[in-house]
Amino acid sequence: MKIRQIHVPSTLERAVSPRLLALLGCCILAVFYIFPIAMLAIESLAFGSGDMFQVYKTALQQIYLTIILNSFLYGAITTVVSLVLAYILSYYIVFISNKQKLLLGLVIIPLWVAYVVRYIGFQILFIGPIKTVFGTDFGILYSTSGVVLGLTSVLLPFAVLPIYNALNGIDDEHIQASRMLGATSLTTVRTVILPLSMSGIVAAAIIVFILASGSFLAASILGGPGQTMIANMISQAFLELYNIKLASALAAIYTTILLALLLVFNYFVKLEEVFSQL
Amino acid sequence: MLELRNLTKYYGDFLAVDNISLTIADGEFATLLGPSGCGKSTTLHMVAGLLEPTEGSILINGKDVTAKPPNERNIGMVFQNTALFPHMTVRENIAYGLRMRDAPKSEIQTRIDELLNMVEMSDHGDHKPGELSGGQKQRIAIARAIAFEPELLLLDEPLTGLDRVLRESMRREIERIQNDVGVTTLYVTHDQKEALSMSDNVIVMNNGVKQQEGEPKDIYTNPQQQFVAEFIGKSTILSGEVMEGDGMQIQTSIGEIEAADSQVEEVGNNVNVYLRPEHVQIESERNGHINEFEGKIIDIENLGEHAEVHIRLPSGTIMIAKMDGFPSVDVGMSVYVSFEPSEVIAL
Repeated sequence: MKIRQIHVPSTLERAVSPRLLALLGCCILAVFYIFPIAMLAIESLAFGSGDMFQVYKTALQQIYLTIILNSFLYGAITTVVSLVLAYILSYYIVFISNKQKLLLGLVIIPLWVAYVVRYIGFQILFIGPIKTVFGTDFGILYSTSGVVLGLTSVLLPFAVLPIYNALNGIDDEHIQASRMLGATSLTTVRTVILPLSMSGIVAAAIIVFILASGSFLAASILGGPGQTMIANMISQAFLELYNIKLASALAAIYTTILLALLLVFNYFVKLEEVFSQL
Repeated sequence: MLELRNLTKYYGDFLAVDNISLTIADGEFATLLGPSGCGKSTTLHMVAGLLEPTEGSILINGKDVTAKPPNERNIGMVFQNTALFPHMTVRENIAYGLRMRDAPKSEIQTRIDELLNMVEMSDHGDHKPGELSGGQKQRIAIARAIAFEPELLLLDEPLTGLDRVLRESMRREIERIQNDVGVTTLYVTHDQKEALSMSDNVIVMNNGVKQQEGEPKDIYTNPQQQFVAEFIGKSTILSGEVMEGDGMQIQTSIGEIEAADSQVEEVGNNVNVYLRPEHVQIESERNGHINEFEGKIIDIENLGEHAEVHIRLPSGTIMIAKMDGFPSVDVGMSVYVSFEPSEVIAL
């Protein structure tokens, strides 16, 4: 038997049935993923009191909603900026450069460095060299642009990889065919390359959006008091206010909205198809 | 009309195409034939504008297009793997070239209908290429390539991915469409059947060099190069030396062979003798023919409409003869093989 071109020895095949493998996967998901989330949801409810959704009244106050909205807004802006940069970079790596492997390596290497180090590095860059040379940090530190820039720089590899993959998978003959039929290179990008790499773009968008809007470090290191994001809020409710119920409720609200957004998105772009093409 | 002048392509130090010059007349169906790596595809890609020649020039209808990008050459191209755009329907694929030329919408729709009709695919206009079979895809690829009435049509081994039966019917199909449209065509293949059955003119290439150019019949019956004689058709190959005598006598391992004296080779020259299987006669008795040799049948390969009979001569040489149908000969039989001097190819 072969699974995805990998030969499975017959002894292993007999010992491990697909059903068993599926069960194992489901168990891991249940124990480490579904169960904690369920606990969280239960924790946010006030059993035995008059109003089970008591704490949600607090959590749905203007101040928290603004923060949730901000988080998604930062996520959206980061996604757009990352997609544009990642597309240009991937396009260069795939179609123009003859050092594909090297450049791809350079894109991946930053992932080896802990996020916190990279955000602090970003901070130091602006506090130190940039302020010294230009006399100003251009208002980037402790502002929205600082958070978005930091998120973009840290999450860029996650956008490059799926887009690179999609562009790399485009058959040269499709591009050549477009040129032969009379299209300029620019038109070919629009009518052939962009549509054929859509799966990579969508995958990149979803990954970056989820990671960015749920980010904790970017806002706490590069943002000011006005840039608090949902993850910071949840952490504060939990660690500083010791309000586990509020923290759980905020997490539940955030997760629900995120899932709803993905469902709406899925209505327009079939995510199943997108991820099966990766 | 397509004209190539001293077209040359180096990949680094490797000479892929060596000084090719040729002319393809208006409406002509010409084929570049050769083994893989002979430079035929490289030549085609240079004509298309997808590769830049190291030297030489390309003229289409008298205009030098060597420096022009592919989108300004007005050439239709059919790719080996069809290269249909998977995200567009059949109609959108065919419309692509016309849209790039800003043709009016109504005109595009009429032209698509006309082309779908021509390739007998009228029912499939709204399908995506992924829903079509290999042969259907290739028809659409052809329709797309001729939709904008290009000055030249290029086909890069379009039948390679198809099975044998489909290949044969597609050969007829391509020939018919080319005839109807009348577009000057350059076809690239390594398959001699495709080259011989479809082309007005065949250009045989090897190692980047043009070996011979001519009508299919000419290439087959009158090869001018050893490579051409060996690459096209099957032969028994004998090496020999030209002897003194009336006409042309060649001393070979099987004995002395007489060849028609139109084949001019100087006395003392080493030559290769090529005998096509269909020119070798098998008889059960000695009949006193000019080139007649005794031998023993060692193998019979029945192929249906004909059979290939392998005969071992006393010298050890194995000669291949073609016989019609299922011949009434047996392995082990002693026979006499003979061939006309005029059929002997000596190069």
